[in-house]
Amino acid sequence: MSLLINSVFLGQAGFPAEFSAPALSHYILVSALMFIIGLIGFITRRNLIVMFLCTELMFQAAGIAMVAFGRYHLDLTGQTFVVFVLTVAAAEASMALALIVLLFRRKESLNAEEWQDMKG
Amino acid sequence: MCLALPRRGVSPQILGAILAATAGGLALVALGAMNPTQLPNVYFYVFSSVALGGALRVITHPRPVYAALYFVLTVIATAGLFLILSAEFMAFALIIVYAGAILITYLFVIMLATQAPQEGEIEVLTEYDTSAREPIAATVVGFLLLAVLSTMMFTGVATLKAPTAEKRDGMTDSLLADTPRKIERAMRSAGTLEPGEHVKIDTASGTAQIDFAARTVAVTGTDGEGQTRLAALPTNLSLSNAERLGFSLLRDHPGAIEIAGVILLMAMLGAVVLSRKQVQIDEDAKLLQSRSLAASLAKSNIDNRTNSGGGIAS
Repeated sequence: MSLLINSVFLGQAGFPAEFSAPALSHYILVSALMFIIGLIGFITRRNLIVMFLCTELMFQAAGIAMVAFGRYHLDLTGQTFVVFVLTVAAAEASMALALIVLLFRRKESLNAEEWQDMKG
Repeated sequence: MCLALPRRGVSPQILGAILAATAGGLALVALGAMNPTQLPNVYFYVFSSVALGGALRVITHPRPVYAALYFVLTVIATAGLFLILSAEFMAFALIIVYAGAILITYLFVIMLATQAPQEGEIEVLTEYDTSAREPIAATVVGFLLLAVLSTMMFTGVATLKAPTAEKRDGMTDSLLADTPRKIERAMRSAGTLEPGEHVKIDTASGTAQIDFAARTVAVTGTDGEGQTRLAALPTNLSLSNAERLGFSLLRDHPGAIEIAGVILLMAMLGAVVLSRKQVQIDEDAKLLQSRSLAASLAKSNIDNRTNSGGGIAS
């Protein structure tokens, strides 16, 4: 499997030599676009669950940026950080979904605007 | 350059999708045209377009279940991007943890928290799923942030320092000394190790003794006895991504791992406590519920009477 990956994606064992700054900026652009999509989704959607899905999108975008920068600097801290982002995302998802189930039982609706009177 | 990309929120769906797709594609192509000699891998374009298209569909699809499934698509495409970035471990961890665990939890909650359609009724989408909130304002805000981000990116990336040639070629891969058994296995399969010989392990630090300049490693006879000699390090010997990541996690960030464990424990406890709680149903919702319950009871009463001629004990 890793041989296949090496031959298809890397061309040689270990780190491939070339990963230039222009290539890096491609990844950063994709990451920025995905983050913005997640942000727009978070603002526009009114379903609580989809809003949390959009935060997960933003996590993904941040992960792409971190792994790309780590690849550029040949440093593994970026990937290590993504491990922790994954942890936090899992914890956040479990808490958020428990809250959503609780809120849904109370009002029988997933509409975020049902809870407008909570602002203060 | 990509400061003025059209991008729509949720409302006119097909038009918005086409606009967004052309905008994203144009941005990538323009970025490539600026540096035509240093394009990324062709798989990059495949995976990133799938990822961005999936992401767009996540925020535009009116049904939450489909939004979650498109998110799975985005996760898988992101894993492909990670593969190109030679982060194999993270790619598979992403698929297993995100697509396999977190998204399934989301799907469960979506199924739990949607009203099942009554029998004979067609399912209608709820109003809050079909209409967006402030799509224009959100798009404008998104643009502004994208403009700021891309400006920062284009000024910042150009000033980044490239890694040193030594680091790039892996000539001084200090982690290699920490894996004497891996070196030994590689040397055995290459046949450069006599039978009964081992890679010499420093008893204090547990590392192999490697001379990176000469590409040699110290080997010795069984149990440290016999002559120590220098043998050539196998060429192309390097640690895999998972091994490197393991060293990075456990050696450089042990405290962070402990904290991550505590966070996960807290999240688990919190979820259990939250879902155990009995909720007081809102007055309106209670009224609605009791009304629908009464209606269904009355209906079943009538059915029973007409069927058997008697009432039911309720």
